[in-house]
Amino acid sequence: MTKRLQMALFATASCFALTATTAIANDKLNELSKSNENWIMPGKNYSSQNYSPNNKINAENVKGLKAAWSFSTGLLHGHEGTPLVVDGVMYVHTSFPNNTFALDLNDPGHILWQHKPKQDPAARAVACCDLVNRGLAYWPGDGKAPALIIKTQLDGHLVALNAKTGEEYWKVENGDIKVGQTLTQAPYVIKDLALVGSSGAELGVRGHTTAYNVKTGEQVWRVYATGPDEEVGLADDFNSANKHYGTKGLGTGTWEGDAWKIGGGTNWGWYAYDPDTNLFHYGSGNPAPWNETMRPGDNKWTMTIWGRDADTGKAKFGYQKTPHDEWDYAGVNVMMLSEQKDKDGKMRKLLTHPDRNGIVYTLDRENGDLISANKLDDTVNWVKQVDLKTGLPNRDPEFGTRMDHKGKEICPSAMGYHNQGHDSYDPERQLFFMGINHICMDWEPFMLPYRAGQFFVGATLWMYPGPKGDRQNYLGLGQIKAYNAITGDYKWEKMERFSVWGGTLATAGNLVFYGTLDGFLKARNSDTGELLWKFKLPSGVIGHPMTYEKDGTQYVAIMYGVGGWPGVGLVFDLQDPTAGLGAVGAFKNLANYTQMGGGLMVFSLDGKGPYDNLETGEYKG
Amino acid sequence: MKKVIVAIAAVAAIGFGASTAAVAYDGTKCKAEGNCWEPKPGYPDKVAGSKYDPKHSPAELKKQGDSMKAMEERNKKRADAFKKSGKWTYDVKKIQ
Repeated sequence: MTKRLQMALFATASCFALTATTAIANDKLNELSKSNENWIMPGKNYSSQNYSPNNKINAENVKGLKAAWSFSTGLLHGHEGTPLVVDGVMYVHTSFPNNTFALDLNDPGHILWQHKPKQDPAARAVACCDLVNRGLAYWPGDGKAPALIIKTQLDGHLVALNAKTGEEYWKVENGDIKVGQTLTQAPYVIKDLALVGSSGAELGVRGHTTAYNVKTGEQVWRVYATGPDEEVGLADDFNSANKHYGTKGLGTGTWEGDAWKIGGGTNWGWYAYDPDTNLFHYGSGNPAPWNETMRPGDNKWTMTIWGRDADTGKAKFGYQKTPHDEWDYAGVNVMMLSEQKDKDGKMRKLLTHPDRNGIVYTLDRENGDLISANKLDDTVNWVKQVDLKTGLPNRDPEFGTRMDHKGKEICPSAMGYHNQGHDSYDPERQLFFMGINHICMDWEPFMLPYRAGQFFVGATLWMYPGPKGDRQNYLGLGQIKAYNAITGDYKWEKMERFSVWGGTLATAGNLVFYGTLDGFLKARNSDTGELLWKFKLPSGVIGHPMTYEKDGTQYVAIMYGVGGWPGVGLVFDLQDPTAGLGAVGAFKNLANYTQMGGGLMVFSLDGKGPYDNLETGEYKG
Repeated sequence: MKKVIVAIAAVAAIGFGASTAAVAYDGTKCKAEGNCWEPKPGYPDKVAGSKYDPKHSPAELKKQGDSMKAMEERNKKRADAFKKSGKWTYDVKKIQ
């Protein structure tokens, strides 16, 4: 055997071993996600459908839902996201300082381990919108490296913990608070990679997405939202199916000078992944600063829905929803994957994304084709329509923004008609259940210099309820809707007192669960929207519900803890209506309905739970 | 009074003209594929040298890139040491 042949065989074997190992990790995650007993990622599975086939709790019996057990996180600020459940253990995350708790579901009153990082308190000062965190990721281990819980810290660190012990396995710097970079996102595991985005566009942070080897903490690839093509990570065939979206050279060519270096496009929302295409999907956020006059150009590739190869990070397609954003319609929202027939009856792999800009987009996730783009509410006014052929929004100039001009009655507000909430898709009903903001705004830009690590926004905002709300009392700020992405129809919709900020959970029990900012967990009939059950939680909700089964009993769990962007006035006791980037005015009535306090509540039929057996958790002295 | 009326008319004309011009941008006239921005009438194509020039400091613009590079170098040292020793050392000064 020649040396060259030996080398070739060795290389082949190595590749095979690598592929086999990563495939095993992926298969294991996939298998775990299919079980009703697990909830292994924030969106339940790689399709991010937030849907459970479990129907033990259903529209007929949901009235019997009662509290089974609860857990206080000991922290007061906003609690976004949802906990994970893997093999009988629940992993709970918190707001800053980003503690993590492991609870044994046989006896959740006993904390198996807790990880309490010591962070630089200066991180708090560069957080945009309260001190939230959106959750955890799980990697199942491979026999050599242990199973891991992977978390983000506000101070920019990505940390892997031994899932059994809570000990730090590795810890890397993914952001530097001195230049305004923070982390609030739930990391995402694909094969043996831990993916993580970035936060801080309100401080001019240039957004990036990075993959680390879960076994070693080693950086595998990093891509940016703006800049030269090599750094943005564009595949050779980038946008070959839709050249009109733009192809090469635009990450610098649509900016003036070096403005792309401080141009935002961070991504701190949710990811989805299709193992068949090996593409993962997410949205890059708003350009910086918010003041549009300071950054001429389309500002690519901010505000973009990406389809990127998981192994290399290279983009197969990128569709910019809001070229040259003028309203902070950060494009980071949830991506939900489905397989549905289009209007011509052709089965397609789809991606549906309710965007901040008030449009819910559905794309063919294999090539980026735009299938539908409909208004989340008929009161959206900055755009008349999205041209499905060109992909371009046809703006109504009356609601544009610019220096020396105060824009008025712009809908949606900068919070979007949809924000970070993780919504759900019911594949049986082919319905997306979406939590909506119903908020509009006035907007007045101002000039400011860029200083690394300082806020770089350049706009003053006044927010208030949309046209369907109660502008006298600042109520009617939210909605919940059931949407069919193929027909574009809304099967039902209901108004809410405040934004439905956290998202929804759908189940095969013909139920949609969601939390409200004023502190209710609610269940509605998926077919009709009828309110079937509700429970008053200790504090408002900005996270999404999840469900798991244990010993034959189905549980529904939700984190409470008001805060986040809508709660920023409440948690920091702010009065100026323009403070909190405009949120304080819109939510000035929230404090009359809820107060701070973070934790978790778990429900089951008749409150059945681990402590029905009075011996469970008893001290045996 | 006539002067005042003329002045008011002039202001109104300017204001109306500016308003009409500024509302003309609808984002659909493309110079090239994926490049469809155009300045709003009355606003500059390039802000450098205009009244809207943010006058970015090159030194400030460089800071993020420098920080990212430094973090990547430190992370590489940590991961390399981990692969050799099996133990994660965060403080790079303690890595031999």
